[in-house]
Amino acid sequence: MEAATARLKSRPAERGGYGRSERRLAAAMLAPSLIVIAAVAAYPIGYAFWLSLTEYSVRVPDRWRFVGFDNYTDALSSPEFWDALTTTFIFSGISVALELVIGLGMALCMHEAFKGRALLRTVVLVPWAILTVVTAITWRTIFEPGLGLAPVLLDKLGLPGADVVWLGQEPYALGVMILADVWKTAPFMALLILAGLQVIPDELYDAAKVDGASAWQRFWRVTLPLLKPAILVALIFRTLDALRIFDLPYVLTQGANGTTTLSLIAQQELTANRLIGLGSALSILTFVIVMVVAFIYIRAVGGNIRALAEET
Amino acid sequence: MLRVAAMLAALAIGIAGCGGSGDDDDGGGGDAKKVTEAKPTGNVTWCIGKDTTGAFGTVVDNFNKQNPDANVKLLELPEDATLQREQQIQRLQAESDECDVLGMDVIWTAEYAGQGWLQDISDAVEKRKDEFIPSTVETALYEDKYWAMPFNTNAGFLYYRDDQVPEAPANWEDVYKQAQQDNGVVYQGFRYEGLTVNFLELLYSAGGSVVNDDATEATADSQEVRDVLTFMADGIKDGAAPKAVTTYKEEESRRAFESGNATFMRNWPYAYALGKESKIGDEFAITTFPGYGGNEGAGVLGGYNLAISAYSKNPEGSLAFINFATEPEQQVIQASEASLPAVLTEVYSDPKVEKAMPFAADLLKAVEQAQPRPVSPVYPQMSEAIYNHVYAALQGDESPDEAASQMNEDIQKAIETF
Repeated sequence: MEAATARLKSRPAERGGYGRSERRLAAAMLAPSLIVIAAVAAYPIGYAFWLSLTEYSVRVPDRWRFVGFDNYTDALSSPEFWDALTTTFIFSGISVALELVIGLGMALCMHEAFKGRALLRTVVLVPWAILTVVTAITWRTIFEPGLGLAPVLLDKLGLPGADVVWLGQEPYALGVMILADVWKTAPFMALLILAGLQVIPDELYDAAKVDGASAWQRFWRVTLPLLKPAILVALIFRTLDALRIFDLPYVLTQGANGTTTLSLIAQQELTANRLIGLGSALSILTFVIVMVVAFIYIRAVGGNIRALAEET
Repeated sequence: MLRVAAMLAALAIGIAGCGGSGDDDDGGGGDAKKVTEAKPTGNVTWCIGKDTTGAFGTVVDNFNKQNPDANVKLLELPEDATLQREQQIQRLQAESDECDVLGMDVIWTAEYAGQGWLQDISDAVEKRKDEFIPSTVETALYEDKYWAMPFNTNAGFLYYRDDQVPEAPANWEDVYKQAQQDNGVVYQGFRYEGLTVNFLELLYSAGGSVVNDDATEATADSQEVRDVLTFMADGIKDGAAPKAVTTYKEEESRRAFESGNATFMRNWPYAYALGKESKIGDEFAITTFPGYGGNEGAGVLGGYNLAISAYSKNPEGSLAFINFATEPEQQVIQASEASLPAVLTEVYSDPKVEKAMPFAADLLKAVEQAQPRPVSPVYPQMSEAIYNHVYAALQGDESPDEAASQMNEDIQKAIETF
């Protein structure tokens, strides 16, 4: 008995000692990656933040000054920033929602066992494998007024829209941008969801069938709840990507007709106008916005995984 | 706590120090290096946009053949002008000596000179000034010094279907009237640099301006600007120009014209040879820009200048190459073999050039009547102010009055950039 208490008593101390050396080892093993992260992420972000507090002259060599948060006040008080922010969120919201629905549909199709499944899976992935810039050029050509595939097709079919200058008018230009994005990234969504589908055990479906669940009920009660983690991960990836969208509007419209996004205005100030301070401030603002959204998502996923773990 | 305070103090001192250093140099390249002597020796790297026609390679080969002591190397930048500028600026900001000779779009000259990235070649340019078409030399002048030598130039033409319009109208008003009756006029109405050019061509023809002579004050809130904006916006409203021009760059306009969907087109000379091979090849002609509002026609100058990087280790060799590339002999080759409009007046009457460019006489006239865009280190911002508001007027998002005063305000803001 005494021995047992002694053992018990000594355990916390032992655990502490063991833990400390373990922690030290962990720290040592983490150090290289932390240093790399610091070098490739923290330093550039810190430097961009520092630049955002300065103003470099575009007319005199090597002249610059510290302006504090002036660049942020400039950015936040300009209607262009808020327009771009709204556009970015509308674009992200609609395109990610569409990608989710379409991606889910594609994933369910690809999951079914049938002849030619391998071929289907490959074909579906093609749009995702194409560079965004190429995608954008393709869609711009498709919607070229009078000569592109879309107006010609609409005209032949007698549908409305043949005379619409798709990329030259609000809100159609944003519509084309969303279409191009959905076309390109729905397969990516499908791929991530498919991975989620494949880990759902068949026994659950068998059990549901035995209990008399219809196909619809099986989808809502079995598939969807178990897919939630995969869907959330896919949503995080896509939303963060969508919030930083640059290449599509850059090639399709250069931001004209209600397609100016946050990244686009940051790039315009940084490289075209060479306003390093203002451009950096815009980049930092974009970074903060994306980070806040990421944080909200992570909280949501974290909670969900725990809830799921408790349920099962 | 103490340490934090000390750090803050150090930071504040650092900041104050930096702030102070800001004001002592107002030189605008005042202490720029000056190149006076040309010596064809050593290695020279020429950084210019992609050599799509092979013409740049020819100049380099010819130079290397005639100058065994020198070795010029061509470094091709992207085909897109915006990306060329980005590539050059990255190198210049890094003070890289990789590029000796820079091939710059005429609108970058002031910006590069202002940043102290170029060497002063006034002596060399002054010596040969009379050989050049005067308007082309103006693009290389910034703060009373020449920073570059014109290499090739460009100016727009009015293309018209001579099966529909037997004779080119004498002014833009008639072009639009005729266009409304026939098949319309197409131009570059997309929101980009090209729209600035298209707008300035009309504005210069109307006798207007967007900045004063030394580009230190905005002058866009004027009757001429409002008139031209009204004219362009009405053109779209009344159907003289299709709504689609707001999505057109050079290539889209060319395709629309060649497919027979337009009676008139504003475009650069490059569209001539391509158009002659299209299905309307026998049904169009070109002319220099007509007048506007009772004034003579005017255009906007394009083209490239050659300059020496401030970080070049071989400025003498670079100058020798620049002189060579702008000699009549080489300019004739560039014009006749690659259709690059020459900067020397005499080249346009060379039989070889006249044969390769049947429109050579018109082109010379177009270049002579063309004016440079504002020569200013903040030109990119000015142009953004111009095309944003012209575009808003074309789309009906801003009235011509609003667009003019907003444009003026934004240009002034650009001028006042630190």
